[in-house]
Order: sequence, then structure tokens, then C-alpha cells
Amino acid sequence: MKREIDDKTILDKFAGDFCKIVEKHCKYIIVSGFVAIAHGRSRGTEDIDMIIERLSKNAFADLHRDLVKAGFECQQSELPEVIYNDYLSDKTSVRYTRNGEFLPEMEIKFAKDELDEYQIKTRKKLPFTELDVYFSSIEMNIAFKEELLKSDKDLEDARHLRIIYKEELDENEIKNIKKQIRDLRLKENA
Amino acid sequence: MRDKSHGEQVERWAEYVKHNSDWKIKLKGFLDAQIIMARRFYKKLGETEEGRKKILELRGIKTS
Repeated sequence: MKREIDDKTILDKFAGDFCKIVEKHCKYIIVSGFVAIAHGRSRGTEDIDMIIERLSKNAFADLHRDLVKAGFECQQSELPEVIYNDYLSDKTSVRYTRNGEFLPEMEIKFAKDELDEYQIKTRKKLPFTELDVYFSSIEMNIAFKEELLKSDKDLEDARHLRIIYKEELDENEIKNIKKQIRDLRLKENA
Repeated sequence: MRDKSHGEQVERWAEYVKHNSDWKIKLKGFLDAQIIMARRFYKKLGETEEGRKKILELRGIKTS
């Protein structure tokens, strides 16, 4: 059965509208919880996590202006230079919502290392979701959830994705990504 | 750690999603309801000055 437009959830519509604008300015990926939810995982979330390519201050200001024009606002500041200097350049995320709404929110951060750059390079549209947005690969999401995040919720997300993609998963890729996570993220935090 | 029956339910539902195309219809009400209820809560909380301060605190927004 082909799903109709009415099947789209509030999160689906929000993500689709937001990503359409971001894609005009830079490469992005949706990661983490919404990847599992877009594949039917039955749990809530109030934000969608997005990683974008590192942009110059001017390029980011252009993106911010387009988002504002389309009816989104940044919860941290309305000034692109403040968002850029105080948050994004400082490896801190910022959150955009539709004007006047508290939820849902898009949590954006810049790619911070080669692992994020690799995630963006290997980004994918995932037909199962019927969403026209780019996600980090399923292998990447499983590896992050099993190796780094590890909460009950994350491990259940990973288990859900493993069942959905049982026949297609590249276990070697998951193993390689987990090694990169240990080298780049876990050593950094140790 | 959640108990075994919770894990079994996660697997049962994932199998359903994998093999049935109506999963999104079944899930839509549940997913949307959480956002609608949270919006209602924030709206109510934002009706007072104290509530507005709490919203900023809850959301970790810098005020200065």
C-alpha cells in the first residue's frame, strides 16, 4: 500500500520543510533518534538531530536568513553572528523551531571531525521512510548507538534498525565505524 | 535496564513494521500526540511570568 501525504507526521513535515532549505546551502545529514523513528520505532522525541558541513560565517548567515524567511526561528539568538560565534564555532548545537512553536525542534551542529565528514560523504536517502531527506547511513546509526550512546533507548533503536535492515546490513562497515568511534570519540573523552 | 518483555515488544513491533506497510498510520497518532501535548503544556506554562522563566530554564536558553 502506497502511503498518502496525510500519513506524514508533524515530525515528518517539519523535517521535510527544514531540510529543503538547508540543502540549498550545504550538505547535511539527519542522525540518531529520528532515523529510528522514521523507520517506525515507537518512541517519542522532541528534537531532530542534524549535522551540517562547516560553513563560513557569511554562508551560515545566508542559510539562517533563508530559514527565517521560511518561518523558522533559532531559539538561541536571532543574530546569525551570535549563533555562529557563540555556539556553532564552539562545537555547541543550536535549535530551530517554527515561529512561535516550542516543538518540534531541529538541533543543528557543524561536522566536528573526520567521522562526521565521513557521515556526510556517505549520506543516503532511505526509501523505506518515504521521506525526501538525507540520513547518515544505517550502519553509522547502529554503530553510534551501540558503541557510543548505549542508553536503553539507543540500544533499542539499534535493535529496531537491525531488524528492519536484517538482510542488507554491512557488518564490516559497522565494525570499522565502531573502531573510528573508539579512536576519535572515546579516546577524546577518556 | 528494562526488562525482557520490553525488549521482546521492541522486536515484535520492528517485525511488524518490516512486514506491514500500514505502520505509519498506526504510529502517526502516537507520535503527533506527544508533540501536541507538549505544545499544550508549554502554552499553559507560558501564561505566567514565572512559567516563561521556567520554559527558558527547561530549554537551556541563555537569557543574558
